[in-house]
Amino acid sequence: MKIFAMLSRIVGFLALAALIVWSFVGMEIDGAHLPTGVAAGFSFVGRMIPHGKADFRYDLSLRDQIMQPLLDTIQMAVIGTVAGAIMAFPMSFFAARTSVFPRFLSDAIKSYLNVSRAIPTIVYALIVLSAIGLGKTAGAISIGYVTFISLSKLYAEALESVSQGPIDAVRASGGNSAQVFVYGMMPQVFPHYLATSLYSFEYNLKDSFIVGIVGAGGLGAQLLDSIHEFKLLDTGVIIALLIVLVNVVDYCSYRVRAVFS
Amino acid sequence: MPDAIVIKQLAHTYRGGAPVLHGLDLTIAEGEFVGLIGLSGAGKSTLLRCINGLITPTGGSCIVLGEAVEKMPESERRLLRRRIGMIFQEFNLVDRLTVLKNVLIGRLGYLPTLSSCLHRFPASDVALARECLAQVGLTEFEGRRVRDLSGGQKQRVAVARTIAQGAKIILADEATANLDVLTKDEIMDLLKDLVRDTGATVLFSMHDIALARRYCTRIIGLKNGAITFDAAPDQLDDAAVADVLARAGHGAVK
Repeated sequence: MKIFAMLSRIVGFLALAALIVWSFVGMEIDGAHLPTGVAAGFSFVGRMIPHGKADFRYDLSLRDQIMQPLLDTIQMAVIGTVAGAIMAFPMSFFAARTSVFPRFLSDAIKSYLNVSRAIPTIVYALIVLSAIGLGKTAGAISIGYVTFISLSKLYAEALESVSQGPIDAVRASGGNSAQVFVYGMMPQVFPHYLATSLYSFEYNLKDSFIVGIVGAGGLGAQLLDSIHEFKLLDTGVIIALLIVLVNVVDYCSYRVRAVFS
Repeated sequence: MPDAIVIKQLAHTYRGGAPVLHGLDLTIAEGEFVGLIGLSGAGKSTLLRCINGLITPTGGSCIVLGEAVEKMPESERRLLRRRIGMIFQEFNLVDRLTVLKNVLIGRLGYLPTLSSCLHRFPASDVALARECLAQVGLTEFEGRRVRDLSGGQKQRVAVARTIAQGAKIILADEATANLDVLTKDEIMDLLKDLVRDTGATVLFSMHDIALARRYCTRIIGLKNGAITFDAAPDQLDDAAVADVLARAGHGAVK
């Protein structure tokens, strides 16, 4: 038995090593051109960073041009998150393995959620964009759908981890099912619902950027344009904005979660 | 004294499990402070949960405050449960809510669904909840969240919730098992006062024999789902304790 366990470990290790080597070889990395390539990459990034007063003045002059796309990106993320969360709330009750609904229903819904989750947002965006045309609406729809799928699953997991104790206590003191839900269950799942929704909003900001690149507009579209037109200072500003935005939202969500934990 | 609880031939088997209670007969009069002792798995919790209808027994009947629980639909059981308080080993409070809200949960059965679900409580109920908190000595904690309290304080909140219900019967499921010695006495004293002041009936499942001897007016020993001892505490000698707490003979399950 021991030998078998050891052998299977060795085989597993060799398989992992083989996978890594196979992938590395597959990259067809040209050793001779590697140093120049890395140098070119650094210089490219370097040109995104403003040097001197003139560059900074140029960056500031982009204000009006970039403000609207920035707002578009935020709006797509907000609408996608809110719509997804609203749809996920009822869905999570059917998806959760609780005693309320038959097991086959939650299993069927879970399978549907898992199938949908395997597909990245950008694929949904490409489909929706070609179906209803370019624009923010298509971006928000695809973000909303992905949010609906992932939050349904996360909300359902929160429901499944609810402890029976407070539920029993509310029932035992004569509470009806609505009161059991509001006092026994909601206080237990609310912090999870809030935390996962906020996390999903942070994630959606980045997704909103990505769907912008494939045609939903917003900052993502600006980024693509700036790179195509070789305006690398613009690219730098857009990336800097994204970094600031995501971190501000991260910080705010941390504070909100601390209040409602 | 009229009977608070009359149990006849009560039997219960959980789905897919072995029988937990075998034809139990038991009558408890109002105002009794009954200690229920026995090993884990003897059926103590199941018995308590049949009395307030959280479990529907597979056989026999529980007549509680004159009404047969097992025959009632859930809506009527709810009305009965308002008069039966329950306190638990794990306190089972709503940790995120305030102490006062947790006591007000004891009033839910008396309040309309919609307003109570919006966390709106009539002033008279809030005043009552405050009185209950005063009774358990937690007045200054009313705005604190329950999760910030100690175990003893949590259990006092649970007792206050029971008082707020206006419970005629209090079921306690190992309610002092997680508490230290002094705090156990505090909780037992609170329940004893309640029995004295309101004529409530207490049925308390516990492992602590010394505590049972000191506080209970009657002790019931439950062994493998049947009553093997039922007498005043002074008759619970060491031999009787040993018998109740002895594992069943050879070949018994677990």
